[in-house]
Amino acid sequence: MAALPDKTSKIENGGLDQFVLGYKPLPGIVDEMMDGNGKVRAHWKPLLSMLAELGPEEINRRFTSADRYLRDSGVFYRVYEDPAGVERPWPLSHIPLLIEPTEWKALEAGLIQRANLLEAVLADAYGPGQLTKDGRLPAALVAGNPEFLRPLAGVKPPGGSHLRFYAVDVGRGPDGRWWVLGDRAQAPSGAGYAIENRLALSRAIPDIYGKARVKRVAPFFQAFQAELFNYNRQDDARVCLLTPGPLNETYFEHAYLARYLGLLLVEGEDLIVRQDGVFIRTISGLRRTEVLLRRIDADFADPLELNAASRLGVAGLVQAVRDGKVVIANALGAGFVEARAMLAFLPALAPHVLGQELLLPNVATWWLGRADVRDEILAKLDSMIIAPAFGAGGGTLGSELDDDQRGKLLQAINDRRIDYVAQEAVTLSSTPVWREGKLQPRPFSLRLYLAKVGDGWQVMPGGFVRIADNPDARALSLQGGDATADAWVLSDGPVSAATLLPQPERVTIQRQTGMLPSRAADNLFWVGRYVERAEATLRLVRALLNRIADAGDVGVPIVSAITDLLQDWSAAPIDTGRTPQMVARSVLTGADFSGSLPRLVNNARAAASVIRERFSPDAWRAIDDLVALIELSLAPGPVERAMVERVEASLRIISSFSGLAQENMTQLAGWRFLELGRRIERAVQTCRFVRNFADGRGPDGGLDVLLELADSQLTYRQRYVMIAALAPVVDLVMLDPNNPRSVAYQVDRIETHLADLPRGQTAAGRLTPVQQVAASIALRFRTTNANNFDRALIIEIEDSLMKLSEAIASAYLTHIQRTPATWDAPA
Amino acid sequence: MIYDIRQTTTCTYATPVTNAFHVLRQTPVNRPGQRVQVSSLRIEPEPESWREGHDFFGNRLTWVSLEDAHDTLEVKVSARIAVDAFVAPADVSRTWESVQEEVFASANTGPTAPVHFLFPSRMVSLDPEIRDYARTSFPPGRAILEAATELTHRIKTDLTYDSHATTVTTTPPMSFALRRGVCQDFAHIMISGLRGIGLPAAYVSGYLRTHRPEGSTRLQGADAMHAWVLVWCGTDTGWVGFDPTNDMIASDEHIVLAVGRDYTDVAPMDGVIFVSGGQRIDVGVSVTPVT
Repeated sequence: MAALPDKTSKIENGGLDQFVLGYKPLPGIVDEMMDGNGKVRAHWKPLLSMLAELGPEEINRRFTSADRYLRDSGVFYRVYEDPAGVERPWPLSHIPLLIEPTEWKALEAGLIQRANLLEAVLADAYGPGQLTKDGRLPAALVAGNPEFLRPLAGVKPPGGSHLRFYAVDVGRGPDGRWWVLGDRAQAPSGAGYAIENRLALSRAIPDIYGKARVKRVAPFFQAFQAELFNYNRQDDARVCLLTPGPLNETYFEHAYLARYLGLLLVEGEDLIVRQDGVFIRTISGLRRTEVLLRRIDADFADPLELNAASRLGVAGLVQAVRDGKVVIANALGAGFVEARAMLAFLPALAPHVLGQELLLPNVATWWLGRADVRDEILAKLDSMIIAPAFGAGGGTLGSELDDDQRGKLLQAINDRRIDYVAQEAVTLSSTPVWREGKLQPRPFSLRLYLAKVGDGWQVMPGGFVRIADNPDARALSLQGGDATADAWVLSDGPVSAATLLPQPERVTIQRQTGMLPSRAADNLFWVGRYVERAEATLRLVRALLNRIADAGDVGVPIVSAITDLLQDWSAAPIDTGRTPQMVARSVLTGADFSGSLPRLVNNARAAASVIRERFSPDAWRAIDDLVALIELSLAPGPVERAMVERVEASLRIISSFSGLAQENMTQLAGWRFLELGRRIERAVQTCRFVRNFADGRGPDGGLDVLLELADSQLTYRQRYVMIAALAPVVDLVMLDPNNPRSVAYQVDRIETHLADLPRGQTAAGRLTPVQQVAASIALRFRTTNANNFDRALIIEIEDSLMKLSEAIASAYLTHIQRTPATWDAPA
Repeated sequence: MIYDIRQTTTCTYATPVTNAFHVLRQTPVNRPGQRVQVSSLRIEPEPESWREGHDFFGNRLTWVSLEDAHDTLEVKVSARIAVDAFVAPADVSRTWESVQEEVFASANTGPTAPVHFLFPSRMVSLDPEIRDYARTSFPPGRAILEAATELTHRIKTDLTYDSHATTVTTTPPMSFALRRGVCQDFAHIMISGLRGIGLPAAYVSGYLRTHRPEGSTRLQGADAMHAWVLVWCGTDTGWVGFDPTNDMIASDEHIVLAVGRDYTDVAPMDGVIFVSGGQRIDVGVSVTPVT
């Protein structure tokens, strides 16, 4: 047992009794922590004693720290039905579910047996179909299953297995046994969240976690990772996690698992199928991939052979599977075994297929397609749940139907009884949650995970617990706002001989460089450009607001010069009747103009959200904060002061984003693209500033504005101790290689980044075409004096910078649209 | 009857397509009552890769990829096909309920097994209104051939043929609500109604004889691709073609190109193209009797 080796003193028992005082299992329901006599089960005692010892206040403090950890790690989930697509904070219930060793062994055996059974059923369904021919699985049940993917019929999955990562939802029934509620074989979710729950909890209560003899989950993932990498036949191939993208409810988990397992996170658009295999479109050209961990639903995986309307998939992927070019986990079509109707046949298939009865029963289920079964069920409809045979959608208890509903259901069954199953109503057991400073019972279900390793299966010693908010909830879904918890599988012996301190749960991974998908690079480049443009716009507004304060409002040429420029940039409406204050306000709050701050910031966020996993949570939060700030209405009181505050606060956030990107992004290719975007944008903006405020005939005070915009007043004053004069200002802002805001400095950085990108060197040591464009700009700067920067030359430089941006895009980013080919309606 | 069929598909793109993957379902195959004597498929420009195969239902598929920039794509099919006339079964009394029971209990998942055509599919949902409309023709104990013939007639009578009312992506509930559409809509509505009451129905794409004998009327859809419905009438009779656009049983004037659960299974051309501009597709069809 997992009891603490030493102290089980009377004092602690007293603390424990006090701690669980008032805890009452729900009527008619088995409780995990407390038995029918109101006694705490033995395997819960060590945990509860240790918690009792902490005391409610300390417990609250620890649990809050777990929540903070989750928030800081950026763990969230997205609610589909929510119109705003809001990301919700992760709802961790801090008391883990405890499973004792003997029970776990039995569960493990049952799960492995089930995995083997489902694999055999899949191999038959996509192979000889003998189970159907023998009448053991009705033909309608195969053909009606939306996950029976016909293009995969007759195709043996490369690598041999349909299932490689499989999850089972279980619940404990009133008889005390674990029952299988459902199988998850399409692309099981939750394992990544389970790791995060474990990390959050083990950090919040490291002492307890260390002493409680909890089996570690990392070795399971290490084994799964090694298995995936095993199918790489070529050294340079990368293992990818194929995600439907950031709009998916579990995208965070995709990104997290990819990082945890050392996989490249890709979307369909990142992959291309060629005759000889599947390739990733990267900034270094096409790179082979031979193994995909699939989180995209199979039907969407290939617009050529599966759902033609899919924009998420990879054209030709099914053919690549047929040709044996790519191992997909799980195989396309594996979702077949998830159908509820399968539960009706698995108990009878087990003895036939495996020669054994099911070790772990599943919820009693009957398929109504058979006339005799239908008659039997309809006779006792009140006590049955009637549910769809395939696909999602909950069931209805017969006794809860009113006459009208009952009539409709009977008619539907009369028309198409093949679409329905009947199930026994399930009552789940409860586990304690921590609410208002005490423990309370709540019903839960447990998702367990298995990974194919070699010829066998490994079971993750842990799980993903979903807890109902409501004491009498029957259906469980995280979408409904329920909580999740960690599951601790307790060990007979010590889990680690070395130490009781928490073991690191991280899998060590090695990252290859140069594997940046073009799509990610493209988005990083644009995040850089948008953020920089937002910064330039803010500086311009700040300069405007400063001048208004100095000069009153009308008729000052320098003020109109600034408002003209803002209007030129489409940051504000062109309307000569508007006061400078109105222009500033419209730049800061109006979303109708492409150059306005809200638009720039939202564009930056949109580009960043597509590649969110490439930012640290802090850097992401900076972008999020900026969006949130911009959406607020201006502070009450004098509008100018409110606007100044808004500008200053925005610039502070942008500066912290820049710092975080600089400090926290690994300085690989991705960071270089972000930098390239920023540097090019800054160079272009600075050229425009010079053109508008330092062309010799400009309004009074133009040079001061320019120095302010280029954040170079201090340097200038230190260097010249005099009022702004044209040549020295232009020298400082355009040419000075030591001024990090000068155009020459940007060009220098651009050249450095380009040289460090993949394909930065040609064979003969010559410059690449992109580098040549940058070099010609740099040459201009080296051969021109401050006095010679006239309007025409600056415009020429701006044009060259735009050409450079295009050259980078066509060399590395190859942005192309994918469209389904269309067809006219037949007559 | 023996026919010569020619079909030319021309895709024109506003900007060059840099990369294209297509799947073509344009080559006819042998079927019960239909023999392909000769057929050819030509594609211009020449594809980088070309692969022939069959889909689950036995239709011929051609997968091609083009990796060079092109601004037009032309697909030309020509075939000579012999088609047998429809022969009514000796026993026409088989009830629709007995057909339903047979398919529910079926152990056959072969390519043309009726179970595949019993369930909702991508474009054909099971719409309650269409189901109730269809049910009128299927009172208890009625023979399936008689009932399906009546449903075919009612759809032709109650709906207006209108090539401007719908598009290739119009769903059956939409065209049914409009009571308008083209052959694709008529076929989808009939399929939805039949499946709604638990009967297997398939979608057929193919061709109609263009010129009919002196004195008979020109058929709707004769100068383009056509679509109709196959209804499974029990093991003995098998699949029977009903054309709700022309209110007739398909016989030797209907030439089958492909069979699927709905239009999406038999679309003559699918794919993904990499392009920044728009596209336009023109199709020309001619069907000439040889004998």
